[in-house]
Amino acid sequence: MMAALDAFLASYGNLVNLCLLNTLLAYGVWLALAANMFTLGTGGFMAVGAYCSVYLTMQLGAPFAVAVVAGGLLAAAVALVIGAPVLRLRGDYFMLATFAFTEVVRVIALNWDAVTGGAIGIYGIPRYTETWQLVLLVLIALYFVFALRRSYFGRSIAAIRQDDVMSEAMGVNVFGQRLSLFVASGFVSGGVGGLAAHLNFFVGPSDFGLLRSVDALAYPILGGVNALLGPLVGAIFTTLLPELLRFSSQWREILMGLLILTVVLFLPGGAMSLLSWRPRKAAARRPSTQGAE
Amino acid sequence: MTTFLQQVVNGLSLGSIYAVFAIGCTLIFGVLNIVNLAQGAFFMVGAYLGLEIALLGLPLPLALVVALVGGGILGMASELLVFRVLRLRGGHKWMGLVASLALARLLVGIAQEVFGTAVHGYPPNPFTAIVWEIGGVRVQLLQIIVVITAVILMGILGFTLQKTSVGRAIRTVAFSEDVARIVGVEVGRTILITFFIAGALAGAAGVLLGLLFNVVSPFMGEHMLVKGLTVMILGGLGNIPGAVAGGFLLGLVEVFSVAYVSSAFRDAIGFGLIFLILLVKPTGLFSGFEERRA
Amino acid sequence: MMHARLTRLLIAATAISLAAAPALAADVKLGIVQSTSGGSAALYGTMQKNGAELAAAEINASGKLGDLKLVPVHQDDAGDRGQTVNIFQRLINQDKVTVIFGPTLTTSAFAADPIANAAKVPVIASSNTAPGVPAIGEYIFRTSAPEAAVFPGVLAYAVKRYQPKTAAQIYGIDDVLMKAAYGVHKAALDKAGIKVVATETFQKGDVDYSAQLTKIKAANPDIIVVGGLAEETANIVRQARQLGIPQSTVFLGANAAISTKLNDLAGPAAQGFLVGSGWFIDFDTPANKAFVEAYKAKYGNAPDTFAAQAHAAVTIFADAVKRAGGVSDPAKLRAAIADTKDLETVLGPFSFDKDREPVLVAKVLELKDGKFQLAQ
Repeated sequence: MMAALDAFLASYGNLVNLCLLNTLLAYGVWLALAANMFTLGTGGFMAVGAYCSVYLTMQLGAPFAVAVVAGGLLAAAVALVIGAPVLRLRGDYFMLATFAFTEVVRVIALNWDAVTGGAIGIYGIPRYTETWQLVLLVLIALYFVFALRRSYFGRSIAAIRQDDVMSEAMGVNVFGQRLSLFVASGFVSGGVGGLAAHLNFFVGPSDFGLLRSVDALAYPILGGVNALLGPLVGAIFTTLLPELLRFSSQWREILMGLLILTVVLFLPGGAMSLLSWRPRKAAARRPSTQGAE
Repeated sequence: MTTFLQQVVNGLSLGSIYAVFAIGCTLIFGVLNIVNLAQGAFFMVGAYLGLEIALLGLPLPLALVVALVGGGILGMASELLVFRVLRLRGGHKWMGLVASLALARLLVGIAQEVFGTAVHGYPPNPFTAIVWEIGGVRVQLLQIIVVITAVILMGILGFTLQKTSVGRAIRTVAFSEDVARIVGVEVGRTILITFFIAGALAGAAGVLLGLLFNVVSPFMGEHMLVKGLTVMILGGLGNIPGAVAGGFLLGLVEVFSVAYVSSAFRDAIGFGLIFLILLVKPTGLFSGFEERRA
Repeated sequence: MMHARLTRLLIAATAISLAAAPALAADVKLGIVQSTSGGSAALYGTMQKNGAELAAAEINASGKLGDLKLVPVHQDDAGDRGQTVNIFQRLINQDKVTVIFGPTLTTSAFAADPIANAAKVPVIASSNTAPGVPAIGEYIFRTSAPEAAVFPGVLAYAVKRYQPKTAAQIYGIDDVLMKAAYGVHKAALDKAGIKVVATETFQKGDVDYSAQLTKIKAANPDIIVVGGLAEETANIVRQARQLGIPQSTVFLGANAAISTKLNDLAGPAAQGFLVGSGWFIDFDTPANKAFVEAYKAKYGNAPDTFAAQAHAAVTIFADAVKRAGGVSDPAKLRAAIADTKDLETVLGPFSFDKDREPVLVAKVLELKDGKFQLAQ
């Protein structure tokens, strides 16, 4: 059994790790989406967390766990500083401001050679991130999100998502709750940045651009924002997709575009809406059982 | 002084293309309150369509017209196949962003399959060789042609929006779909026309950029999309005169941040600027020019 | 007990079958990890995939390796490092490839090469030119000449011919290849006592370089050193001439700028452009002439330096397999690759030095009348 697992991980270990990392990231982004914040800042926060943690482990010899948490905290601090003014913006303006933030971080990373190595990046980073750590963190994230959704705080967030003006009138501190979620999202993204940096020996500015932010947003949206497992399903689907379509060679990009379009158009509530829809249909096919109850 | 004037020329010719592209993006936002991330891909397809016409030895104005029509048709297709479907199914606005990005990916993939990954240039044309030097400032005939074409395109759009029934319909839908329905505007058709205009402008911008800078590749759209979003913010989302001014302004800002600060920080300056504008004056630098959607 | 008997039986059976059918061909799987989608990396990834596959087909047809048949397995990483690592793990552990050619991007190499090195699977790169790639481990090689091996020769030639006192530099700041090239260029200029009067940068996807060039024009340098890919360099040179930087201001380019695209896109503006390389399309050897013709016939366009370097990588591997007497012993195979000496390739006689870097006779080339020619 263990041997089979080892053999599997030898061939697919990195894919498993990427799925887990992206799942974590998806829950980080979900925190922002939960209060209607369409954030493109994820790439920027990941960069802050990644460079900070690598600096700590490689230059200062700090323990890995401390470095990852510190990376997350620094990203959270940055989220607090930019969040306070940016959160006054609504909808698309918020999205574009966070997009500008991510790009500014990328240009700084390209120019701050002493810490980031510029375009060449930092290589030879020790590999500290282990699969079991990622599994543990995903389980923690799942529990946290599960608990959050059932809490008073969670219900007030849901209210914000429905209608923020009404929530404000009902006495919900919309700004405060949004800010705390944005900071939490920054923390998770920064932490994932640190974990990702210690996975594959290398980190560079091209890892954290706009595309990274967009991918991170696509995970929970494709999976379904309203379902607990939505971000997980979306992250795994999107990470596996390029590998599953490998057979198609040059047609891969085209097929990926088509598949994502199909999901969006036919399941506008995300892939998880498929699950909530299926049992109902199955139940409808068995009226006798229902009648018996 | 010569260098300063030369940089102004550089900035204006680049900015005119930004403006043409960004007007399309901002028009869609003004009407529907959505961002169509596939506009960059329409721009790329437009550049290739123009290139193919030019390679056949046909005149350049024809290349421009084909790109306009081709980009417009793609724009309409994106409305019919993606955005309209999403609206009918009650999909969240986020879905439109993800879907339009997937559509862009699809088009880039197809372009790569059809034209290959290599960068292509337009065939030599008589205009490239003509360069005037006025007091040390060098101006190419091609630059003048591109700027004039851009201004003409913007003029036609302005006339259409202000003086024709189609334009009035578009402005009414932008103001409110419900009001438009009450006064008898065919909303669906008007939105379709809006997408056609936006796609056509993106396609035309592709030809202008390909001609002026001699670069056509499947990946050129991504870069332009980022510029288009930046211009939209500078001018204010949905504000068409703002996008015109913002386009030229971004061209000049980029050129002058290279000239007087550092090319390494060019993009940081551009994005830092829009970050500040969003915080200080989120409606853009040029708000007050036009009534915007409430 | 049972097990041992079974093994013996198998060995016997194998021995019989080998004796009975000596012509049974064995497949040698070549992992080819090149980006053929995903942005600008696809430009040179496709070239390398083609070059490597062409070489494998030629070697199979020649019967040089006897019973062994080279089977290329191409995987596209879309320029995404995560995918490169996925591919390496699967190629090594599942497909059991003997060797990997690639990856396209240096950033991918830093992430994925350690896996191959630990698994004792040789990697021969043909586009990673940044410093430090073969230093990842003793199984990592490259046929792409690092900029440091070619640029000093180009500069020395320019100094001899034009006696420049000042220079301007312009490079792609977000491209690993070009950022590394910039460092090499700067060091060489400093060493030659040439003053750098302007340093400008651009980013991937930029098409307008006129702001940077106007600034360079105002600084009035004797030479301009460009750290850019062929497509970028072509536009820089063309726009510089349009802005009135005179033909007497000579451009020096990075190794990666060697492509017929340079002339296609820049036209007469690039006349006199100087560049150093291990390879150029009109390189007058029988091996190269045959390669260029075969490439054009198969793919319908002209090969560039990346295609040639990938072709050479496969040639080197095949030769090492022959000398190692097969592929069963990775240590022996690795040693055979490392021992490559004066092997005839499309790049000319090829050897590896002790750091697994290519030893090439770097040629100084000048773009004259639309063609790269040896500068004299």
